[in-house]
Amino acid sequence: MKTTDKYKHDWQEQLAKCIRCGTCRSVCPVFAVTGNENSTARGKVRLIEAVTEGDLELTHEMQQRISQCLMCKACVTGCPSSVKTDWLFLDARKALAEENSVPFMKKLAFTSLTYRWLFEKALGAGTLLQRLVLKDSPDGRGMVSRIPLPAAGLNARRIIPPLATKPLRSNPLVLKPRGPRRARVAFFTGCMLNYVYPDAGKAIVDILVHNGIEVTLPIDQYCCGTPAFTSGDFPVGRYLAERNIEALSKQPLDAIITGCPSCGLALKHEYGHIIDDPRLKEKWTEIATKVHDITQFLVEIGHREDFHEVKLKLTYHDPCHLVRGMGVSQEPRQMLKAIPGIDFVEMAHADECCGAGGTFSLSYYDISRQINDKKLDAAQDTNAQVLVTGCSVCRMHIDDGLSRRQGTIKVRHTAEILAAAYRIPGKEVIS
Amino acid sequence: MRPPVIEELSSLVGREYVMDKLEDRICYSCDATFRSGVPEVVVRPGSVEEIMGIVRLASRRGIPITPRGASTGLSGGAVPIKGGICLDLTRLNRILEIDVVNRVATVEPGVITDDLASAVSRAGLFYPPDPSSSKVCTIGGNIAECAGGPRGVKYGVTRDYVLGLEVVLPSGDLVQVGNPVDGEMSGPDWTMLLVGSEGTLGIVTRIFLRLVDKPATKKTLLAVFETLEDAATSVSTLIASGTIPTTLEIMDNLTIRAVEDYLKVGLPVAAEAILLIEVDGAPSAVEKHCDHVIAVCKRCNASDIQVAETEDQADKLWRARRAISPACGRINPTKISEDATVPRSQLPAMVRRIKEIATKYDLKMVVFGHAGDGNLHPNILTNKHNLEEMQRVERAIEELFRCTLELGGTLSGEHGIGYMKAPFLEWETGRDGFALARQVKDSVDPKGLLNPGKMFSAISQQIT
Ligand SMILES: Cc1cc2nc3c(=O)[nH]c(=O)nc-3n(C[C@H](O)[C@H](O)[C@H](O)COP(=O)(O)OP(=O)(O)OC[C@H]3O[C@@H](n4cnc5c(N)ncnc54)[C@H](O)[C@@H]3O)c2cc1C
Ligand code: SF4
Ligand code: SF4
Repeated sequence: MKTTDKYKHDWQEQLAKCIRCGTCRSVCPVFAVTGNENSTARGKVRLIEAVTEGDLELTHEMQQRISQCLMCKACVTGCPSSVKTDWLFLDARKALAEENSVPFMKKLAFTSLTYRWLFEKALGAGTLLQRLVLKDSPDGRGMVSRIPLPAAGLNARRIIPPLATKPLRSNPLVLKPRGPRRARVAFFTGCMLNYVYPDAGKAIVDILVHNGIEVTLPIDQYCCGTPAFTSGDFPVGRYLAERNIEALSKQPLDAIITGCPSCGLALKHEYGHIIDDPRLKEKWTEIATKVHDITQFLVEIGHREDFHEVKLKLTYHDPCHLVRGMGVSQEPRQMLKAIPGIDFVEMAHADECCGAGGTFSLSYYDISRQINDKKLDAAQDTNAQVLVTGCSVCRMHIDDGLSRRQGTIKVRHTAEILAAAYRIPGKEVIS
Repeated sequence: MRPPVIEELSSLVGREYVMDKLEDRICYSCDATFRSGVPEVVVRPGSVEEIMGIVRLASRRGIPITPRGASTGLSGGAVPIKGGICLDLTRLNRILEIDVVNRVATVEPGVITDDLASAVSRAGLFYPPDPSSSKVCTIGGNIAECAGGPRGVKYGVTRDYVLGLEVVLPSGDLVQVGNPVDGEMSGPDWTMLLVGSEGTLGIVTRIFLRLVDKPATKKTLLAVFETLEDAATSVSTLIASGTIPTTLEIMDNLTIRAVEDYLKVGLPVAAEAILLIEVDGAPSAVEKHCDHVIAVCKRCNASDIQVAETEDQADKLWRARRAISPACGRINPTKISEDATVPRSQLPAMVRRIKEIATKYDLKMVVFGHAGDGNLHPNILTNKHNLEEMQRVERAIEELFRCTLELGGTLSGEHGIGYMKAPFLEWETGRDGFALARQVKDSVDPKGLLNPGKMFSAISQQIT
């Protein structure tokens, strides 16, 4: 059977809902830079429609256009006709990957995500290895590539934080709460918090413990699979999803906490779209209801208010997958504003994409940078000392941008500010 | 498109702005109507000189050109149904000047309507035309369609603000009609002819717009009715009694529910119809008008009347109004929007007829629109894949057109003719009127290359 014929039926309902009004032109960050209809949701929906009508094959050219998209969901929430463009684009990526295959280097990277132990081994060597490939950036924000490695997602100009010599999950695997136990949760770390920003990951654990929560870090959790399935690699994405569902359903849990919005979104919503096996889907449904972003969870259970003064001027950036994916935007603000001494200033367009878009920034660095520059302008206009956000990918991209313009704003995960306010040892006040 | 043409176009505008891959051409094949037409090449010029060059080339080689703004048109104007060149004008998007002293804005055609309105507002003045698509559509497209909007009742439509235009003719020559001073010109009003010409007579490259004073205050009201007719009667009564609100929008029950489902702004989902009314002006006048509006609506059986207390509340209501048309996609996927306009005194009759037609052909139809203008947007919600139903839709549309004309109305209040209404145009103009228009078109565009298949260049349907 032709790839198209396999999926045609699933797509038609959403395709028919697109009334071509063009409203998505006013919300798409990529279109704002390119001005080209081929980057709008309407354009991509047209392409998918043309495929189902037999006017277009699943070509490489189409694959390129469908992947020139941040998966930021601005067109989903912005679509008055409620077209599930995110699902359409995911599905199209899947079909295109089946037809044309996933680019080889990306594929390799996903395979090592699957074999987590391999990744961790490679990382062990990686800390040595990265010295060979990367050199420290002049301002100490991270490292820049010595040689351009586009296929590996590295760009000679891009600043990558050094990989942690000790990943977060090498910490003890069950952490007892401070005081009586209020709940028992699993912390799904995700790759970024585990390997790149373990301090932020640790802050999440610490504030949970401080709030009387028992935290486990399931040893057999894998990458959430987002980089794989958003690139159309559903087999790997599905494999990872299945492993994670198994890992998270082994023990009774009151909640599953994420500090990475893409992991949260995957666990809470996207898995439902990529898993086929009905038995697993049932298990997943149970898990999905438990998934909470860290601030969402703390606000819901009623967090401790023993905040100490933190004298900082802050602004907040809404990660796409947190605000539109998980529907969390007030919770972090509410908590940050409750800290004495915090001067909270909203930046303009706080909920617009920062341009990172996972692997998007690797493939389309220039567009990604232009989108990011708007974010940086908005942030700098607030004169804040620290930009707080709930996503490590946003953090990395914003930090990269700041470094390139010698900006003085520091970027931190929401949990790190909260940990500092709780005066958790080792979490000194920033700045 | 043959390689030499692509090469020539590339040398005019740069290779990256000439797109001849099928994938890109498909992205440029539609507007907000349901038919598609894939252009042979998409060209995105960045200057007037480039446009002149492209038009000359097309004229020399006999290639059709379909101008394109944001492609939000509701009658198919920007669909390249004859292939050829799709001329995307959105790179010409500079606001060249806002002259506060003389109250004139000079803009390029690709400027987004909302961007202009905000810039004018920041300069302390007011540009009233407010099509619901204003966050997306372009001034060029507004000129070409003579777009209206909710404020049309009091402030008129795009035409009322155009002082002059700079236009590239089908020959590739550049002319200016009207002027930035007072819009007056020796001789006939050529500007009038070009406004609403849907890209069939020339390509608008620069626009001089009249600006007005910002109203001192405004107030938004929401009146709830138990029947659509009562709402329509309120409108005609209001206008007859001499109060001209800034806006007077009608929404029926299905529309209310679709919008509420999308935006959740607290619209009364149980209401059969609502009127959204805004009055503006000096504070004392606003109060007086407001009282009068409330009195009239009550007399016409309004079951509830709410006055928006804060700007935020008012904003929400207008956001809801803007979202109607696209939100209807939630009900049924294919949306055929008509834009029949009747004299305001005939509004209650028109509403009744629309409902009868919906029942007769067993179709899902929603009604909303700029009631204050007599401009209703009966939308048929259907599914283009259901062929049997689509046939009923066609018959319903014909009947709708016929009854609009019978009630002394016009086929298009503001959405234009495009390919969609072209077959029916002669019903409205009459045979002689149509022939005259055709002559005008032929003399301006003898080769028939500018937006072929639209308006007067399409085949008419026999009057039955
Ligand atoms: C959700 C929604 C709400 C709408 N609400 C309203 C409303 O309230 N009132 C209203 O009047 N319309 C409304 N419309 C219709 C549409 O937005 C208007 O007709 C608008 O003016 C089209 O502008 P555009 O830039 O999208 O033009 P396009 O659709 O790109 O083009 C429209 C026509 O203009 C021609 N054209 C474009 N630019 C030029 C140029 N520079 N020179 C010559 N010809 C040109 C094209 O060839 C085409 O014939 C709505 C549409 C949508 C989808
Ligand atoms: S906003 Fe939604 S319905 Fe409108 S064109 Fe975009 S995807 Fe289609
Ligand atoms: S997901 Fe974001 S980048 Fe992709 S089409 Fe939608 S708005 Fe544009």
